[in-house]
This record gives sequence, C-alpha cells and structure tokens, in this order.
Amino acid sequence: MVFGHMNRVLASIGCALCLSGCVQAVPPDLLAALETIDRDLIALRAPETAPEEYAEFVRHWVSLKSRVDLDDDLIRWPWESSDLENDLRRLYVVGEHTVSQLHDRQASQHRTTESKLARLEDRFHRITSKVESIDGRILLGEQVVQTGLLVKQARTFFEQKEYQRAIQAVEQADHALAAQTSLLTRELGRYADDRRITHWRTMAQQTIDWSRIHQSTALVVSKADRELTLYKNGRKVLSYPVRLGFNGMKEKQFQGDGATPEGRYRITDKRGQGQTQFYRALVLDYPNAEDHRRFALAKKSGRIGLAKGIGGQIEIHGVENQFIEQTLGCVMLDNPHMNVLYEGVSLGTPVTIVGALTGQNAVALALSELEHHREEI
Amino acid sequence: MQRRVSLASLALTLLILAGCADPPTQQIQEAEKALKEAQQSGAAKYSADEYAKLEGTLDTLRKEVAEQDGKFALFRDYGKAQQLSVSAKADSDRIKATAAQKKEEAKGAAMQAQQVAEEAVKATQDLVAKAPVGKDRAAVEAIKNDVEGLKSLLKQVQVSIDKEDYPAAQTQAKAIYDMSQGVSTEIQNALAKVGRGKPAPSKKK
Repeated sequence: MVFGHMNRVLASIGCALCLSGCVQAVPPDLLAALETIDRDLIALRAPETAPEEYAEFVRHWVSLKSRVDLDDDLIRWPWESSDLENDLRRLYVVGEHTVSQLHDRQASQHRTTESKLARLEDRFHRITSKVESIDGRILLGEQVVQTGLLVKQARTFFEQKEYQRAIQAVEQADHALAAQTSLLTRELGRYADDRRITHWRTMAQQTIDWSRIHQSTALVVSKADRELTLYKNGRKVLSYPVRLGFNGMKEKQFQGDGATPEGRYRITDKRGQGQTQFYRALVLDYPNAEDHRRFALAKKSGRIGLAKGIGGQIEIHGVENQFIEQTLGCVMLDNPHMNVLYEGVSLGTPVTIVGALTGQNAVALALSELEHHREEI
Repeated sequence: MQRRVSLASLALTLLILAGCADPPTQQIQEAEKALKEAQQSGAAKYSADEYAKLEGTLDTLRKEVAEQDGKFALFRDYGKAQQLSVSAKADSDRIKATAAQKKEEAKGAAMQAQQVAEEAVKATQDLVAKAPVGKDRAAVEAIKNDVEGLKSLLKQVQVSIDKEDYPAAQTQAKAIYDMSQGVSTEIQNALAKVGRGKPAPSKKK
C-alpha cells in the first residue's frame, strides 16, 4: 500500500519534471531578432540596392519560417539539439553580417556620390561662369539647360539616396560639360589660333600705319578684349571698353545672328542726338564687298540657309538708356565715351574690327581653362 | 477469422490510398501564375521586399514538392506544399494589388510634376513673348534660348513616363520647374529694365 502510494508520487514527480524540462524548439526572441534583421535590410533598401543579397537572406528566412509554422517539432527535450534553431542562428549571423556590410556600402556610396556631385556642381558653376564671360551661352544653345537638368537630377537622386542613379546623372552631366567645351573650342578656337591672330594683328597694324601715313584718325576694335582704340597720326590716343552683340564673339554670318562683324570698314554716317535712338552713332559700311563675297561663298557651300539675309546697319553707338545695355551686333560704348569718340572722328575714318590682337586674349584664356576643366572630368 | 482478414485488407487499402498522395499541381500552378502576374504588375520594383519574400515562398514550395516527390510513395505528404501554395497565391494577389496601386501613385505623382513643369515653362514662355521686339530683344535673347531648351526637356519627361520610369520623370520635371522659375526671375528683371525704355523698331543687324 505504502509502496503503491510512493510509486504514484514518484511517477507524478517524474511527469512534472519531464513536462517542465520540455523546451520550445525555437526561442521566440530569436525569431524576433530575425524579423528585426529583415526590417533593417528593408530600411537599408536592400531589396532595391542589393537584390541578390536580400533574395538570399529572404529565401532562407521564408524557408525556415515555414518550418517554424508547419513543423511538429516545436517542443523538444532539453538535451535534444534543434536543427531548426541552429539554422535560424546561422541565418541570424549571416543576416547581421549582411546588414553591417550594406550599411558600410551605403555609407561609402554616400561619400563617393557626395564628393562626385560636389565636384560636378563646382565644375558646372565654374564652366557656366566662364561661358558667360565669353558670351558663349547663345553659342551653346540648348546644351546649357540640358546640362543644368542633369546636374539638378543628380542632386535630387542623391537626396533620395538613389546613389546609383545619382552617379549615372553625374556621368551624363560630365559628358555634357565635355561636349560644351568641345563646341566652344570648335566655334571660338580661332581666338587661340596663331595664324588667325597674326592675320588680325596685320590688319590692325595696317590701319595704324594708314593713320600715320595719312596723318588721320583710325579705330581698331578688339572683340576678345572688348576694347576700342582711337589712333591719331599712328599714335594711340585713347581706349574705351565696348559691348558687342549678344553673340558678339562669333564671326558674323547672317542677319539677326547677333554677331559683330570682323573686317575693315569706314564710317559712312554720323548721327547725332535725335537722329539715332542710341545717343550718338557712327554708321559703318557693313556689308562691304568682302562681306558680300564671304556671304555668297557661305551660301553656296550651304553653311547659310538660302533664305538668310546678310544684315546691315552696323554701328558704333551709345546706350539708349541706362536700362538697355545690349546690342544686336553693333559696338556699344558708354555715352560719355561715345561723346568723345563722336567728336574725334570724321566720315571716312577707317574702323578695323578684329577678333583679338594677342594670343593671351580673354577668349583664348577662357578656352584654355575650359580645356583644363575637361581634363579634370 | 474471415472478418479479421477483411478488416486488415481494408486498413491496408486505406493506408495505401492515403500514402499515394498526389502533389497539389493545380494550386502550385496557380501560385506560379500569380507570382508571374505580380511581377508583371511591377511588384519587383514597387513592393520589392514583399516580392522577394514571395519568391522565397515559391522556392520553399518547389523544394518541398521535390522533397516529397523523392520519398517512397507511401510516405509522401503534400500537406505542407498545399499550405504553401495557397498562402503564396493569396500573397501574390495582395502584392499585385499593392504594387499596382504604388505604381499608379508614382505615375500620378510624375504626371502631376510634369503638369507643374509644363505650366512653369508656359508661364516663362509668355513672359518672353511680352518682351519688346527690336533693340530690346537682345536683352532676353539668351533667355529665349534657355526657354527653347526647357521646352525640349519637357519631351524627355514624357519619354521617361512612356518608359514607366516615374522616378526619373519626376526628378526631370522638378528640375525643369526649378530652372523655369530661375529663368522667369531673370526675364522679370530684364523686363523691369526694358519696361522703362521705349520699344525700338526692328533694324537690320
């Protein structure tokens, strides 16, 4: 009787021990930790930026979760090892490593993109200001805004942490800037061409010689330096800064192109106040025979459309009023300077307009700097 | 005795029938089809994490079927495969709907940004048109050039929308809007100057 009672007590103790010794196959905090890893990976945008790594993690995670959800071995003896738990722990270690790797990679991408973008923006501003300084904006046409768009796009993608797309936009903008530089070099390269400069210097020197020989006045305009010089009896009397057409650095080709012509001209008319809207004006004989010859040749070769006209009414003039300081292709001076010049010249005074007088002119220097920036790219 | 034999053969038949389970082929096919549809709706792009999980589920399902197929017929159990295929199908449908919605939202946002950019360029264009002709034209000549450039850029936004690259379309439209605002300010400044002068008659140049 006593033994029977003892047996029952021992059996009860045994059962209680066994039941309390049973443990869950997977500790809930391990599952929670893996959920956190998954959330961290999503927060790091792993599905988009590291799809292969994320797919690898997720494949294992989904497979193990399905085992957790569906397997019967949710409870095991404490001395039993759990394959499922071991697999989950291994995945946790791998996942943690992936999070850390992606975090480092993202930080590195952030730094690289930020630095590339800063360099691009700096180069863009420097080139834009250089282009403005040589009136190259019109020459570049739509390229200026196209490049601007890419620079802005790169900045937006960077702010959205879309580093890959930001870098793509940076590279496209770099190419666009290089193309701009090429176009400017092609259009304005003559300002850095020694033969052309020698030719211009000869033209200017011949005008000065004419002034000396004929004991008369003559004008020389250097477009690159934006400077007008008055010579009297072959001696330099004064120099004034000038403004040119909105596309002044280009060689004039047709009416309305905003370019200031280059060549040897004479003053054919003097218009005082009331006769011109631009304070005072000295009318030049553009287009002369040489201009007509050049224009006909350009049309024949197809460089100029058949409907284009040669233009005219090129003047050296003052400013209409202080608020309008632009000209369409003429040479414009401030009114006090125009006043002095107007009084100092007469009808028939030769006016020679050249691109530049030295190899170290403003356009050549700007082009050289632009080339330097291109090498940086 | 005879009755015992009959019971034993009945039990054996039932055991064999239960053991010769077939894979849930139709449900698996449906799940695969739903995954494909989710992918076509842009889930890989617009619900990337959920889509990756869905692919993971399908991968587990395929492995489970292969595992059961590899077992002796009597021991095959496709219950887990069935559960996985049902859950994958349901998830696919949900993800497909979510992705479609997100895609529509992205498209809507891109189109709205496009409209705002178009209006900004149009306003800038109108400002340029107000500028006096003749001598005064020169003051806004470079700006007109930029406006033409902005009009061309608007085409790029449409190209991005057509390619369903809505993030690119949105950033392009935003950049065009910003640049239009900048150009408008430049024109207003130029017009403020020109407005104080007289419009000049057009001349040859």
